[in-house]
Amino acid sequence: MNDFIAMIKGDYLQRTRSYAFLVTLAISLYIAYTFVPAPDANYTTVRIGNYIGDYNAAWIGHVTAIMTSVFLSLIGFFLVNNSVKKDIETEVGMIIATTRVSNFSYLMSKTLSNFLVLLSITGIVFVMSIGIFFLRSRGFDFEFTSFLIPYLFVTVPSLFFISSLAVVGEVLLGRRSVIQYIGFFFLFNVVIANVQAREGFESLTWIDPFGVKVVTMGLESYVKTNLGVDGRVTSMGFNFSPKDEVKVFVFNGMNWPLGFLMSRLVWIAFGIGLVWTSSKFFHRFDVREKIRAVKKSKVTGEIVEHVSPKTISLAALPAITADYSITAFIKTELLMLYRKGLRWFWLVNAGGMIALIFAPLEIAHQFILPVLWFLQVGRWSDLTTKEKTNRIHHFTYAAYQPLRRLLPSQLLAGIILALVLASPLCLRYAMAQEFLSIAGIMAGGIFIVLFAACLGIISGGKKLFEVLFFAITYMNVNRVPVADYFGFPSTATSLLLVLALSILLAALSWLVRSYEIRHS
Amino acid sequence: MTLVIQNLSKKYNKEKFGLRDYSLTIEKGILGLLGPNGAGKSTLMKIIATISKPTSGILSLDGHDLIHEPNYIRKMLGYLPQDFGVYPNLNAYEFLTYIAAMKGVGGPNLKSRIEMLLEGVNLIEAAKLPIGTYSGGMKQRIGIAQALLNDPKVLIFDEPTVGLDPEERVRFRNLISDLAHDCIIILSSHIVSDIETIADAVAIMKSGTLITTGTQADVIAQVDGKVFETIIDSTELEAFRAKQFVVNTIRQKDKVRLRYISDQPVPSSTPFAATLEDAYLFLTKSNN
Repeated sequence: MNDFIAMIKGDYLQRTRSYAFLVTLAISLYIAYTFVPAPDANYTTVRIGNYIGDYNAAWIGHVTAIMTSVFLSLIGFFLVNNSVKKDIETEVGMIIATTRVSNFSYLMSKTLSNFLVLLSITGIVFVMSIGIFFLRSRGFDFEFTSFLIPYLFVTVPSLFFISSLAVVGEVLLGRRSVIQYIGFFFLFNVVIANVQAREGFESLTWIDPFGVKVVTMGLESYVKTNLGVDGRVTSMGFNFSPKDEVKVFVFNGMNWPLGFLMSRLVWIAFGIGLVWTSSKFFHRFDVREKIRAVKKSKVTGEIVEHVSPKTISLAALPAITADYSITAFIKTELLMLYRKGLRWFWLVNAGGMIALIFAPLEIAHQFILPVLWFLQVGRWSDLTTKEKTNRIHHFTYAAYQPLRRLLPSQLLAGIILALVLASPLCLRYAMAQEFLSIAGIMAGGIFIVLFAACLGIISGGKKLFEVLFFAITYMNVNRVPVADYFGFPSTATSLLLVLALSILLAALSWLVRSYEIRHS
Repeated sequence: MTLVIQNLSKKYNKEKFGLRDYSLTIEKGILGLLGPNGAGKSTLMKIIATISKPTSGILSLDGHDLIHEPNYIRKMLGYLPQDFGVYPNLNAYEFLTYIAAMKGVGGPNLKSRIEMLLEGVNLIEAAKLPIGTYSGGMKQRIGIAQALLNDPKVLIFDEPTVGLDPEERVRFRNLISDLAHDCIIILSSHIVSDIETIADAVAIMKSGTLITTGTQADVIAQVDGKVFETIIDSTELEAFRAKQFVVNTIRQKDKVRLRYISDQPVPSSTPFAATLEDAYLFLTKSNN
């Protein structure tokens, strides 16, 4: 048991003692702050018809708990689904494979470590929600249990389930991160849509892993009983519809049905069951050698080496000339972007580009383009981090003028990819002479690449960008206007804003990278 | 060509120095850097390779201040870091072309130069395979090839023989001996024999400071006449170690053959000619 706890502790500490985790916490704090809008904010989060709760402990506790359950489940999957991968990359896994630790114990330790990571973020959000209560409540008493209970019943089991799902994804789909992302994105949307559409409490408790429907139904029931109004919670998220007619009521909490509480335990047990099942298929770190063997045999069988190689004489080598252009860089960066991930995935990209040609213009711009760009998440996220992850940074930082030559090449290659993918749509706009829309798309492509580069350089890893890009895409698909970076609809103001942000990101990337180059 | 290091320090925090008040002048030829783990060899090499900035001190090449003008040396630098990786999806040709772009070299002969380098490091057969499929020794050889791409005048090799088999190690030593006529070569290693056979000068480091420097003969002279061998019972080993500085032990049934350094040898000891390894161990491990 001690060994098991030590494994969880070690993994948890390794993941949380990083700059990227600190940045994640800071962003979580900001997002948590938005869960309870300021009185003059132009959006609402949870709303029952035209009613929102007054900011007492029960309302803030319930709202932040369900918002955390949904949002942290959504982005949490992306945050934690690299724990096994990390052990493969660091080759710690090969040591673990030689020990007596069973597959199930190992995967359970990863699940619990994932859970602790998400719980740490939840802890920060929880503290923030209490802070918001003191900031925004108007004379209500502070009731700690009103905060705690929704988190315990709703958020905590959701996060456990997501933690186990992340491990299962890693086991079954290995290093095919993009497929995991798309699969989870699809699953999440199906579950949320299904939960929102269905009625009837009994069935809902068993199909809602996030535990939010029981709260929204409780809120609806509360409004109906106390105010006589038949209101519905139509969305959980950031609702930018007009607030003019919003009325405030005092929510004093709800009863938690026993069936719901039982269902939360069942979801936890289901998560453990999934991990147990996946442990039967776990590769136990035999994966790399298999890949190597396949690649070697594909080309020449065993690598043959000369018996008596030639000697090197520098004087005898053909003379080279100085060439400070960045063409070779861009070419190689594009080659690496092309080879990243599964080759057949380019067929999906091609399909997306064809869809950009034939789909109605509005659908193509508002839905297909952001999703098509999101599919490149794995390519863009390591645009500026791959030197460090591949331990090649000592070469690149000692290169001739690395900041002026290498960094721009990486950015240009990323932007070329974005624009090539968006080119069918740009062509359609060009034919329709809507040049502002083209400018909006181009600015969006530049922005998202710079966003990836900047977050990569600042956090030193690719996770932060992946999580945020996913959240942005999710908001775009759900038509949240603030997340629109690709100009739908494009206005001169939005264009300038995106370009200004891009310049800021470029400057930040430049500054941090210039420091890194001399402080390796 | 002269590389001047003057009072160079690298401070990580209040108490921890990677390098402390280090001064050395390096001319053409091979300088072997010796020192235990944590001695500051890699820190010094990173500073010379311009990827780490010193906290204080002067570093110049032919009068050019490399701390403020790092691009001066980068054009003529070949650097093999101790712990480096590769882009696994590129093959050897593509990877070396990429490195050539980093170094700012090209031209019509680049391809044939890469080919000759790959032949020289015995990788031509595997040159079209993704580097991710290479063994550790093959990756090390790719590292050596990249260091020679740009006609370097300053070559920095940090633990270059790690992962090479004995035959490759000999080939590598021969290679850098040939290069030494025209370049400054700084070579670090734990393996004294790698340095012993080729270095023109040696610098021994410990805890971020330079303990001694000079030709091999100068360094060996510090323990000359103090190296002895003797044979004792195994049971006496611990007591012997407590009194003398033992550099090597060889077990022979119940006996142990000891090589030690001392001003006062025990009776029945045989004097031996000192080696660089004796001097290195004595200077870095003893409390003297």
